[in-house]
Amino acid sequence: MAQVFKPRANTIALAILVSVPVIVVLVFIVNYQLHASPYATLMGLYVDQPIPFSHKHHVGDVGLDCRYCHTSVENAAYASLPPTHTCMTCHSQLFTNVAMLAPVRQSLATGTPIAWNRVYKLPDYVYFDHSVHVKNGIGCSTCHGDMSKQPLTVKEKPLTMGWCLKCHRDPGPHLRPASEVFDPHVPDPHNDPQKAVALLRHYVIETGNMTDCSTCHR
Amino acid sequence: MNDTAASHAAPASRIEISRRTALKLFTGGIAASLAGCSPPAEKNMPYVDMPEGLVPGEPQYYATALPLGGYGRGVIVKAVDGRPIKVSGNPRHPASLGSTDVFAEAALVELYDPERSRDIRGTQPINGWTDFLGELQQWSGKAKRGEAPLHLVTSTVASPTLLGQIAALKQQYPGMRWFAYDPLGDDESARSLIPRLDRASVIVSLGADPLGSGPMQIMASRAFINGRMPESPGGMSRLYAIESTWTLTGANADHRLALPPDKIDALAMEIVGRLEGHPGSPLSLEKGARHFVDQMIADLQGAGAGGLLLPGPMLREETVQAVLQSGKRRGAPLDRAAALPAQLRPEAFAAFEEALHSRKVQNLLLLDCNPAFDAAPDAKFANALKGVPFAVHAGLYDNETADLCRWQLPLSHPLEAWSDLTSADGTVAIVQPLIRPLYDTRSQHEILGFYAGQTAPSGYDAVRQTWNREPQDKGFEDWWRDALVKGVVSGRSPQFTLSAGNAEISPPASSQSPSDASAADGSFVALIQPDPTIYDGRFTNNAWLQECPKPLSKGTWTNAVSLAPEDAAALGASDGDVLAVSSSEGKIEGPLRIDKGQARGVVGLTLGYGRTDAGAIGNGLGYNPRLLSPGFQNVVPGVHVKKTDRRAPIPSTQMHFSLEGDLRKLLPEVAPGGSLPESGPKPSLFGPPQPRDPYSWAMVIDAAACTGCNACVVACQVENNVAVVGPDEVANGRAMHWLRIDSYNIGTAEEPRHGFEPVPCMQCEKAPCEPVCPVEASVHDTEGLNVQVYNRCVGTRFCQSNCPYKVRRFNWFAYNSGQEYKDLGEDPMPARNNPDVTVRARGVMEKCTYCVQRISGARRDAEKADRPIADGELKTACQEACPTRAITFGNLQDKGSKVNARRADPRHFTLLEELGTRPRTTYLARVRNANPKLAGGSA
Repeated sequence: MAQVFKPRANTIALAILVSVPVIVVLVFIVNYQLHASPYATLMGLYVDQPIPFSHKHHVGDVGLDCRYCHTSVENAAYASLPPTHTCMTCHSQLFTNVAMLAPVRQSLATGTPIAWNRVYKLPDYVYFDHSVHVKNGIGCSTCHGDMSKQPLTVKEKPLTMGWCLKCHRDPGPHLRPASEVFDPHVPDPHNDPQKAVALLRHYVIETGNMTDCSTCHR
Repeated sequence: MNDTAASHAAPASRIEISRRTALKLFTGGIAASLAGCSPPAEKNMPYVDMPEGLVPGEPQYYATALPLGGYGRGVIVKAVDGRPIKVSGNPRHPASLGSTDVFAEAALVELYDPERSRDIRGTQPINGWTDFLGELQQWSGKAKRGEAPLHLVTSTVASPTLLGQIAALKQQYPGMRWFAYDPLGDDESARSLIPRLDRASVIVSLGADPLGSGPMQIMASRAFINGRMPESPGGMSRLYAIESTWTLTGANADHRLALPPDKIDALAMEIVGRLEGHPGSPLSLEKGARHFVDQMIADLQGAGAGGLLLPGPMLREETVQAVLQSGKRRGAPLDRAAALPAQLRPEAFAAFEEALHSRKVQNLLLLDCNPAFDAAPDAKFANALKGVPFAVHAGLYDNETADLCRWQLPLSHPLEAWSDLTSADGTVAIVQPLIRPLYDTRSQHEILGFYAGQTAPSGYDAVRQTWNREPQDKGFEDWWRDALVKGVVSGRSPQFTLSAGNAEISPPASSQSPSDASAADGSFVALIQPDPTIYDGRFTNNAWLQECPKPLSKGTWTNAVSLAPEDAAALGASDGDVLAVSSSEGKIEGPLRIDKGQARGVVGLTLGYGRTDAGAIGNGLGYNPRLLSPGFQNVVPGVHVKKTDRRAPIPSTQMHFSLEGDLRKLLPEVAPGGSLPESGPKPSLFGPPQPRDPYSWAMVIDAAACTGCNACVVACQVENNVAVVGPDEVANGRAMHWLRIDSYNIGTAEEPRHGFEPVPCMQCEKAPCEPVCPVEASVHDTEGLNVQVYNRCVGTRFCQSNCPYKVRRFNWFAYNSGQEYKDLGEDPMPARNNPDVTVRARGVMEKCTYCVQRISGARRDAEKADRPIADGELKTACQEACPTRAITFGNLQDKGSKVNARRADPRHFTLLEELGTRPRTTYLARVRNANPKLAGGSA
């Protein structure tokens, strides 16, 4: 009687047996790396804006405090973008006719808001509150990088859950005294364990619940 | 290899493809799917000119008032980004006392209803306000000349501004007539009473329902619970209820007797006679009932001025007056609700019908009322209304009455208009809008302003003018701002207002006389009452209220025809059979509900259903009992009931009601001052709890205080974006209410009584739902909450099956995100959602979270201020809404917190304690203050 399976069937069977778990593992690894990579997190990507707003100029050269424009960062969950009127506090007198600022003037004239492209965006199922971070010693540059060096706003950190948890598991090295919270030049983390403990005590931070799911996901 | 003919019949659409092309396509497919992996781009649009204090995402709170039955209840409404999203009580307002009822909580759905009337409708295909105003001008001219006097029909008016405007219109238009009616009936004297239940030690309710739905429900419930505290003067009060059908008052009574309306009427006269000292001939009752009545009267007599005899609307007017006079003589704690002085009173609806049928009405304005449904749902009225040349209906919806009128004017919702409202006890509150009118609507004041001849009337100016009658008044702006902040007006009185107190009310022209319900001809007496969750028909299109279960029967989405078990057996009918109820006026059909404890010979009917043009949600549900009654009679004798051969099972959220044997532990009952047997700590291998956080949240629910009003159920639904699933899904057992109120029969067969037990998530310390989740979506947090993480949940439903309390709810369909019931997903409904709470997708499990968004908010505020959360600072939505303060919530680690005090109460018990789940939600047993001379204690 003729054989149903040719000799190469042995090879094929063994190859499938070995390659299935290998492929499964590879899929997991590739997927994970893909989603952790800047490709998916958009880290390091310079985002085009309707007006090429330069933090380097406004924060680095002019020396504006973060809160001049992002006014609600100490009181509310959203840091909020400045209204057109805030831009016009200076630009009604400086660079009043520059072509680059035409969209700002148009926004003021027509009452249409400026449509900025979001750079730092968390998914909708994450409830992040700026004020409780800022009030408890997390500096703006810890998550947003040194804004005085960014000609266009770029996403400096991946903002993945693992990255958030890294600090939530041990916030001490990332804290700073209240006077330095809005200073973009302060390095982070500071790697001084005594300073970490002192700051934790100073801000009365309860670390017991910081890795609870309900802290960010409700 | 098989060379059959079939192989030659190759399909024409075969694609010739080489291996190389296939590989190219394959790789291209993978690349395409990879390229689709980045998050979508999003815009961020700030203000151009930011209003001061309006931070995006931060809530603002405004005090206003909402109407029910014409009267106002003060509320505080939370608005986020300019959208009102939650109604809570105003602690400063006496008709709210910080709590709400179901209707106030559900008012938001009315505001965002996609089917609200948005545009003016006239006779042309497209009409504008200018068209209407043009025609109005002509008719106003005629009215001023006396050719076509203005007829104004409204429901109960309790707004000083509106009264002022009507009075001014009467001056302007000679011959103007104003008619007003209450859809519940014209038995006004009995409906407009404020029982001071906290000052009474013995309360006898003769068919009255102070704890039931109505504008005074919150006041009455709070007063009732204050009177039930053992430390109140006179000790704990005792409530007797004598009624024909089950009401909330009867469910919470210590003793109850079921009698048909005519017997209650006769009994009332007997009680009055005996209290006054001249007993007449006693009513003939069965032995048990007679013993009951005698002991009750003895108790009432012994209470002296603390005895309160409360007449109900089913009694005859003469009886009500007799009871009230007798009460006044004895100094009973009973006040009259605020009412209009005699010179302002409108005419009755019967007078309007008479004018309409004699063709005297040509110029008609129906302001926010629906008589074609709730007053005169007959063809004669409809035809007469169609024949009115200038009939104008101003209302929130294009309803049955609007369909018959020439013009339909869209009315602004109370949440988007300026007004003022008097509550039942005479307190006035300014109604301020939370949002600009969503559509091209006008408020009631602006419409009357049009009729007064103004071209651009403003409700704001009209209200201010009511209160600022002296133009040189310098203190007015400060007073105005103070009134708006507090939500209560004081220190000024407007020109036209309702006055509280004991104003004499003249009895209505037609007094109902319930004749003997002789069972000889097999006829019944129909008793028509307001529906506990739909009220009088205003809210029929309100999906939250439709899905809110009736407090005692837990039915939803329809009204029922209730009968006593013996009557149902005589008809051979069982629950869900469709019955045909007919009177000399008309016929209705509705599903049967057998109510143990209902009086024999009485058919219980409720208002608000049977609408033909309410909207997608409300159409075609239930029956309209007004078709049976002539005029506004709520007690209709001579009614015949027949069983049809159809069935219409009522969608219900609870199937089993009896507590027998072991089940009795679910809702224990004690006498006043009694305690439950100590259970003591169970042996356990777990050590003492080691909290890693300063807060351990817990909740204690006092089952004795729960009156079953359902305010907490709807409050939770509003706060947490809980979906409405519709009648079919409710029938499948898939209602989504996170908090349910279990209604149990805790009495005996001879003496049926009810008990209520609100059941939220128990937040078990040893939760059975946590170890069974394969993806750790159900986890425990350090503050003791059992947290449901929606983005991890894959929909295994193991947690739901393992939960012994069955408090978990599964999204079988995208009830809130794509597969909404009927039109609940249409704009602007999604604007109502609370942005602090995730809107769940299909396939995700959800449950009560102890309002974790509120806990998180309070914790963040405390952390920013470097202080702990104070006891009482944090309130869950259900706790906030409850009129009787039955729910206490707080931190177990705070030794002095209220929740710890409640846990130490001798009445404290845990649900299903033997399972070892160690719930954080615990209960206090129900209390019955039984009369020792009446048999039947808390056995």
